[in-house]
Amino acid sequence: MSQSDNSFEPNVIDDEMLQKAVEEQWPEDIRKLAKVEGINFKDVMELQLRFRNILQIDNLWQFENLTKLQLDNNIIEKIEALESLIHLVWLDLSFNNIEVIEGLDTLVKLQDLSLYNNRISKIEHMDTLQELQIFSIGKNNLTTLENVVYLRRFKNLHTLNLTGNPFCDEEQYMLFVVAHLPGLVYLDFKLVSDTTREVAISNYHYLTDLLEHEEAQALAQLEEKQAQQKELEYHKTAFVEYLNGSFLFDSLYAEDTEAAKLAYLPGVDDLLKDFVSVCENLFNYCLKEHEKREAEVSDFYEGLHEVLTANQEEGRRIILDFENQNKMRLDEIHHASSHDTAESMRAEYNEDILQLSETLMTLEMQMVDQLEVRLRLIPVKPPILDAGTFHFAVACRDLENRHHEKLLEISISALEKSLKNELDEELPDDVREFLVDKNTIVNMVNKSHDIHLLKISMRECDILLNMYRWEASVKEKALQNEIDRNRNRIKEIFQYIDDLQEQLDNTQIPELTE
Amino acid sequence: MEVLEEKEKEEQKEEELKALEVGSELHDMDKKLSVEKVCFSSDVPDFDWNSIDTSQLPDSYKVNSPKEKKMLHIADHYHQQFAHLCPERKPLFLHPVNECGVEKFVSTTVRPTLLPYTELYHWDGCASFVSDYLTMEPLKFPLTPPTSLYSPTTILKYQRGNCFDFSVLLCSMLIGAGYDAYCVNGYATHDICSLDETLEECPLLRKPQEVPKEEVKKSNKYRVKPPPDMHSKFELQQEAKKKAETEATEKKEREERGMEAEEPAHDHLCGLRVHAWVLVLSGKREVPETFFIDPFTGNSHSTMDEQFLGIESVWNHKNYWVNMQDCRNGCKDLVFDLSDAVHWEIMLSETDKPLQLLLGAEKENELFDRNVDDMEEEEEEEEEEISFAMPPSWVAPIQISPKEFETRCSQGRKVILYKKAKLEKWAPYSNGNGLVKRLTVYADSNLHTYKSMNPQTERVMEFYTETRVDGLQKLAENDNEMKEYFVGRDDFKYFQYTEFRAKRKKVTLVGTRTDVNSRPIVQIKECFHRNLQKPADEDVAERVFLIEEDMIQLTYHLKDKYITASKKDFFKPTESYRKQSEIMTPEMCITYQAGSSEQHTKLIHLYKLLRELTEEEKQLKQQVWRTQAEVLKILEIRENEEADIKLSASIYDTERNEKRRQEYEAMMKAKKDEFPGQKEQDLDYLAPFLIQIGSPEKITKRQALRLRDDCLSDFKNRLVSKANIIQAHFEKEVEELQKKNQQFQENQNQLSEKEEADFLADYSETMFRIHILALRLDREKQTAPQKYLALEEKLRKDPRLAEHLGHA
Repeated sequence: MSQSDNSFEPNVIDDEMLQKAVEEQWPEDIRKLAKVEGINFKDVMELQLRFRNILQIDNLWQFENLTKLQLDNNIIEKIEALESLIHLVWLDLSFNNIEVIEGLDTLVKLQDLSLYNNRISKIEHMDTLQELQIFSIGKNNLTTLENVVYLRRFKNLHTLNLTGNPFCDEEQYMLFVVAHLPGLVYLDFKLVSDTTREVAISNYHYLTDLLEHEEAQALAQLEEKQAQQKELEYHKTAFVEYLNGSFLFDSLYAEDTEAAKLAYLPGVDDLLKDFVSVCENLFNYCLKEHEKREAEVSDFYEGLHEVLTANQEEGRRIILDFENQNKMRLDEIHHASSHDTAESMRAEYNEDILQLSETLMTLEMQMVDQLEVRLRLIPVKPPILDAGTFHFAVACRDLENRHHEKLLEISISALEKSLKNELDEELPDDVREFLVDKNTIVNMVNKSHDIHLLKISMRECDILLNMYRWEASVKEKALQNEIDRNRNRIKEIFQYIDDLQEQLDNTQIPELTE
Repeated sequence: MEVLEEKEKEEQKEEELKALEVGSELHDMDKKLSVEKVCFSSDVPDFDWNSIDTSQLPDSYKVNSPKEKKMLHIADHYHQQFAHLCPERKPLFLHPVNECGVEKFVSTTVRPTLLPYTELYHWDGCASFVSDYLTMEPLKFPLTPPTSLYSPTTILKYQRGNCFDFSVLLCSMLIGAGYDAYCVNGYATHDICSLDETLEECPLLRKPQEVPKEEVKKSNKYRVKPPPDMHSKFELQQEAKKKAETEATEKKEREERGMEAEEPAHDHLCGLRVHAWVLVLSGKREVPETFFIDPFTGNSHSTMDEQFLGIESVWNHKNYWVNMQDCRNGCKDLVFDLSDAVHWEIMLSETDKPLQLLLGAEKENELFDRNVDDMEEEEEEEEEEISFAMPPSWVAPIQISPKEFETRCSQGRKVILYKKAKLEKWAPYSNGNGLVKRLTVYADSNLHTYKSMNPQTERVMEFYTETRVDGLQKLAENDNEMKEYFVGRDDFKYFQYTEFRAKRKKVTLVGTRTDVNSRPIVQIKECFHRNLQKPADEDVAERVFLIEEDMIQLTYHLKDKYITASKKDFFKPTESYRKQSEIMTPEMCITYQAGSSEQHTKLIHLYKLLRELTEEEKQLKQQVWRTQAEVLKILEIRENEEADIKLSASIYDTERNEKRRQEYEAMMKAKKDEFPGQKEQDLDYLAPFLIQIGSPEKITKRQALRLRDDCLSDFKNRLVSKANIIQAHFEKEVEELQKKNQQFQENQNQLSEKEEADFLADYSETMFRIHILALRLDREKQTAPQKYLALEEKLRKDPRLAEHLGHA
C-alpha cells in the first residue's frame, strides 16, 4: 500500500518487507509492545503480502506456525519456497502469473487453496492435499474437461470454482463436473441443485460407474497390501517373519544352485512338507509367546502407572495443602505491623518453604527407591522361549540331517542307475553331469548340507538376537523413562520452591523505622 | 438453659413416679406430651368419648346374647383359675365395657371383614390405612389396659382411638383378608406407645443400600510394593488411645448437655407401659415369617424387635391365649406356637384342634362319596358339636365408603415427625394445589431452614441439559452466591461460582426484585475439564476473576506426572496506568510455568491473553446477570403456575371428572336407547321360517299358525337333542368308569404305586366329570319346559304374528 514509488518494480520478499507486513496487521498498542520486544516470526499465525509486486516467493521459512498466507495480486510466476509452512490451512495465490501447480506437496493441512486468475493449464501435483475443502481455479487456462476427474481424490472437497476457463463454454461442462464430483455442494459460486445432480448422474453414469469400479479396485488392492504389511510388521515384532510357509526351505536352496539341481531327482519333494510343518509349529509358538510378552509388558506398565499416579496425587495434595495454608501469608507479611515482625514472619515462611521442599524431595526419593528395585527386574523374556527356539533348531537340524542322508541315498542310487543306464526319467543335462562318479555327488551333497545347517543356525541366531535386543530395549526404555521422570520432578520441585521464594523475596515489607 | 432443661426433666421424672400412684395426673402429662408430638388438628379440640351417640347402634351392642353371657362366665372362671395359679401377674384384659357400657369379651369385638379395596387385600395396605385413617389417642393410664374397648365401627366413625382400638380394627381387617392375625396385649417402649418417631429415619429419606462394587483387581506381580511403614506402632496406639479418650469426654459432655443428645433418654417406666399391637403368624397368605405390626405407624417389626418388651395375652375372633413365657428379655425368646400348651394357656381349649389336620383327615375319608358342599356343611356341624365355641361377633359389619377410604386421614391431613424430618400427608384433592405429601427436612434437630420463593434465598434448580444451549444442569443459589453446574459444553466448563456483594440494605421488598441485576459481583470462578486437544499447560483448569480486586488468576491443568500446576496471575492495569506509554509490564503478570525453566513468555502474548480475558470477563458478567434474570423469570412462572393449579382427574373417576361424567352418562343413555332393538335382532327365532315361506310382507293366519308350530317344534327338538347329547356323554363316562374300575379291581395287586396313584387321579377326575354331566342334565330337564313356555309366550307377542295369534 505504501510503496507507491516502486509499484512497477518487481519485488523480492525480504526481511524488511516481512517486518513491515507483520507490524501492519497489528493494532497500535500491540505494535508498540512488539517494537520493544522484537518480533519472532515463529509466533506469527497469519500473514498478508498482497499488492506488493512480488515476483518471487522467498524468505518465508521462518514462519513455521503460519496457518494463513495471502500472496494474492502479485506477479509471482512459480510456486516455491513454501515447503516449511506445513501448518498452512489457507493459501491465497490468486491474481498472479503462475503457470504450473507445484511445490505444494508438504502442505498437507491445506483446506482452502485459491489459484484464481493465473495461467494454469492443467490441474496436477496436488495428491497430498487430502484435506482440501475449497479450491478455486477460475480464470485460468484449463481446456480439457477430463482434467476435472483429477479432483475426485479429494473426499472433503465441497466448493469448487472453475468459471472463466476455456472448457466452461463446452455444452456439457456443468453436468460433467457435477457427475464426476458427487460431494460437491457449491460449483462456481452456486449451490448444486438436486435436479442438476440427478440429470448429471443419469447422463454420465456409464463413465462414473467405470471410474468408481476402478477406484474401488485400487482401494481394495491398497487395503490388501496394507494388511499384508501390517501382518508382516506383527510377525517381525514376534521375530518370526517369513517363518510360516516354505520361505525358510526355499531360502535354503536359494543360494545353493547346485543342490537345486538335485531337486529334480525323484523323492526330494516330500522333504519340503516336513520342513514347512516344523516351521509352522515354531511360528505359532512364537506368536503365542509374543502375546504373552506383550501382556507381560503391559502388566508392567500398568503397575508402574498405578504407583506413579498415586505418587502424583500425593505430591499434588501436599502442594495444595501448602498453598491453601499459605494463601494469605504474603499479604500478611506485606501488611505486618512493623519491620521486625515482618522479618520474623518472612523467616518463618521461608522455613516452611524449605520444609515443603524437604517433604517433596523425600517423597521423590521414596519413589525412586521403590522403582529402582522394580526396574532392574523386568522379566520381560520368558525363559520358555529360548527352549522353544532351541527345539526348533534341533528339529530343523534333525530334519536336515535326515534330508541329507536321504538325498545322499537317492543320489547314489540315481548314480548307480545312471551308470547302469537304467534311469528312465528324462533329466536335464547339467543334472546328468553330476551323475558321473560317486565322489562328486557325495561332495556336492555334503557341501549343500553344510550350507543348509549354517543357514538354519543363522536363522536361530537371528531370532534369539532379536529377542535379546528387544528385551534390552524395553528395559532401557523403562529405565530411561524413569530417569527422565525423576529429573523432571526434581527440576519441577526446585523450580516451584524457587518460585515461592522469589515471590517471598519480592514482597515488600514495612521499612525499618528508627 | 441447660440447667433449666435438666430441671424440667427432673420434674418430669418426679411426675412420672407420682403417676404410679395417681394415674390421672400422669394421664394429663402424657396427653400433654402427645399433644406436642402428634399435632392434633387445631379445629378438633380434645374429643369427649362420653358425648358420642349410642342410640342408633343395633341391639347386639346393647345387650348380651345367652351365648355371650355364657362366654363371659367361662372367662371369669378362667380368670379366677389364672389369678390363683399366677398371683403375681396382672389381671387379664378379658371383657372391657363397650361404648354402650356392656361388658363384651374381647374376642367378640374382633369382626373379620374383607373390604372391597384392592389395597386392603395386603397387610401393609391395611396397616397404613389404619395408621393414616385413625388419630392416635394415648391410653388414659399408660400402665394399665383401658377399662373399655369400643367396637371397630364406632372407632371408624369417629376416626380416633387408642392402641387397643387400632389393633382390633387392624386385626379384623387382616383376618378378613385371610391372615392369621392376633391382637396382642403387652408392653412396649415409650416411643412406640406414644407414637414418637422422632428418632427414626424418615422412610422416604432412607437411602438405598449401596451395593459394594466388586472390584476385580487382578494381582499384578509388577505392582510396586508400598514403602515400608516407618511410623511407630506405639505412637499410633497412644494416639488412638488419646482420641478415644477425647471422644469419650466429648460424649460425656454431650450427654451432660441433655436434650441435645440423640440417644433416647432413659425411661423410668420401661417395661411397664401397656401397648397393643398385632401379631401375624406365618403360614396363611404365604407369610414366610411371624411378625408384629405396630398399628400406630403401620410398620412391620420383627418379633426380635427390642422395642416390644413383653406380651400378656393374644386373641383373635375365635379364642384367647395367655402367654406363660418369661418376658424378661423382651419378645426375643418367645415361642409363637399357640398350640403349645406349656407356653400358651388357651381359654376355649377344644376349638383349637389343629385345623389343617382335621380338614385333611376329612378330605381323605370322604373323598369319594361327598362333594364340596357337603363337606362344608359337615365342617360347620362339627364345629357346633364342640362343647362351646366363641359366640359370633356382636359388632356390625365394618364398612368404609370409597370417599372415606380416599380421604384417609382425619380431616385429610396427617403429620408425622421423624428424625430431623417432618412428613405431612394430605388426602387426594383435599388441597387445591394437589399437594398430597410434603416432607420437610431439618438440617439440624433444632435449626429450621426455610426455603421460599423470594429471590436471593437458598434454592436449587435442576434443568434438562439436553434442552439447554448452555448445558446448564443445576443451579444452586443462596444469599450471595450462585453455583452453576454444566454438562457437555464445548468449552469444557463444568462449574461456575459467582459471589455477589451482600447488599447493604438487608430489607428487600417483594416489589424490588428487578434491581437484582445491579448486584455487584465480587468474583467469578470457572472450572474446566481437561481438553485433550491442547497441551496440559495451555489448557486452563480454573479461571478466577477477582473483579473487585482487578485480578485474574489462571490455573492450568497438570502435565503428565507433574505435581505443580502452571499458573498465571494477572493484575489488571488501572485506567491511569493505561494512559502511560507502557501498556504491559512484566509486573502485571506473575507466571509460574511448571517444568519449563525460565522461558519467559513474551509480553505480547500475555497482553493478548489479558485482553481476551478482559473481554471474557465482561461477557461473563453479563451472562451472570442474564442467568439471574432467567432465574427470576422462572420463579415468576412457577409462582403463577402454583397460584393456578388445575388438577386433572383420572378419566375413570366419574365423580370428579365432570366432563367425563357427562360423557359417561350420555354414553349410558345412548346404550339404553340402542339396547332393545339390538336384542330383537339377536333373537329373531322366526327369521329362518320366514325365509322358508319366502318372507312375504304380510302373513296370513294360516301361515302364522304354521310358523308358530314350526318354530315351537323346532325348539322342542333342539332341547330334546341337547338333553340326549348330554345323556349320551353321561352314559359313556359312566361306562368307561366302570370298565376302568373293573380293570383296576382285577389288576390291583400287580399295580405299582405310581400306577395306582395315576388311576386314583384319573378316577376322581372322571367322577368329577360325571357329576358335572349329571348336574347339567338335571338342570336341562328342569329348565326345558320353562324355556319352551317362554318361547311360546314370546311368539304370541311377536308383532308379526300377534294379530293372528291374538285372536286364536
